Amino acid sequence: MSFKLKALLKSPWVFHLSTGSCNNCDIEVLDCLTPRFDIERFGMLLAPSIKHADVLLVTGSCNRKSVKRLKRLYEQAPKPCLVVAIGECSLSRGMFIHSYNCPVPLDKIIPVDVYIPGCPPKPEAIIAGVVKLIEKVRGKTKKAK
Amino acid sequence: MTREEVLNEIKERFSGDILDVFDKSPNRVYIEIKPESLVPVAVHVFRRMKARFNIATGTDVRHGIEILYHFTFEDINLMVSFRVTLPKEKLEIDSLAPHFKAANWIEREINEMLGITFKGHPDMRRLLLPEDWPEGVYPLRCDYEEWDKKAIRDRGL
Repeated sequence: MSFKLKALLKSPWVFHLSTGSCNNCDIEVLDCLTPRFDIERFGMLLAPSIKHADVLLVTGSCNRKSVKRLKRLYEQAPKPCLVVAIGECSLSRGMFIHSYNCPVPLDKIIPVDVYIPGCPPKPEAIIAGVVKLIEKVRGKTKKAK
Repeated sequence: MTREEVLNEIKERFSGDILDVFDKSPNRVYIEIKPESLVPVAVHVFRRMKARFNIATGTDVRHGIEILYHFTFEDINLMVSFRVTLPKEKLEIDSLAPHFKAANWIEREINEMLGITFKGHPDMRRLLLPEDWPEGVYPLRCDYEEWDKKAIRDRGL
């Protein structure tokens, strides 16, 4: 476990999933990948398939139809898989909390490691959150030693 | 065709079907029509007057459910909306989907969201709601109540 996480931290590949968001958080996630913010400095690459990914970035408010897809993706992800919730919708469903189509928040469906609030969060906030995730996991591996 | 010609043609041809004309702005007109005369009006506006069927919208108002059929005349920058009000006891209207295909999906959506029966619709399946959604529960009605016992509606504080 410790060895796997250590290897993961060198270059975590991220997979980006939108569970019914307004696409604003998705645009900010894409901004992180552009040369201006360049999240590749931390070794992060966007993985085309969840089977290649170490980190699952989730945006959106988890509506009834996408919850099934989200569970299926999480089952397919190689473990250990870290989950990052981006934006107010995936944290607590934001303004859609009483919507008929968004019954359960994300962290009641799958375990979430880092929450990045904002509507949408700035690319700087996303980078700060991801760096905190790396620090958190690194602290965990040190303790495991 | 100018704006006056379009409005005059609709008013003259369907004088018995029109209940009210609300001239809101230079490029927006609302015409209230009887529910049973929707198909002849819409087909004439679409086929003969070459308007584009934009979208239909349904709203739950206090005295019934109203549907607005929006038609645009793009070359003169005019949008004509035909308003139909259905009483809550009898939520039925003739379908426009056999006459033009653009009405197919929006009628399916209005059917599942507001519970209006479109008579003569060729393919009335669910469009947006999930498979495990109960029958007879319409989420966009005013009297919609939570049916899902597992739903969590607090922020965990």
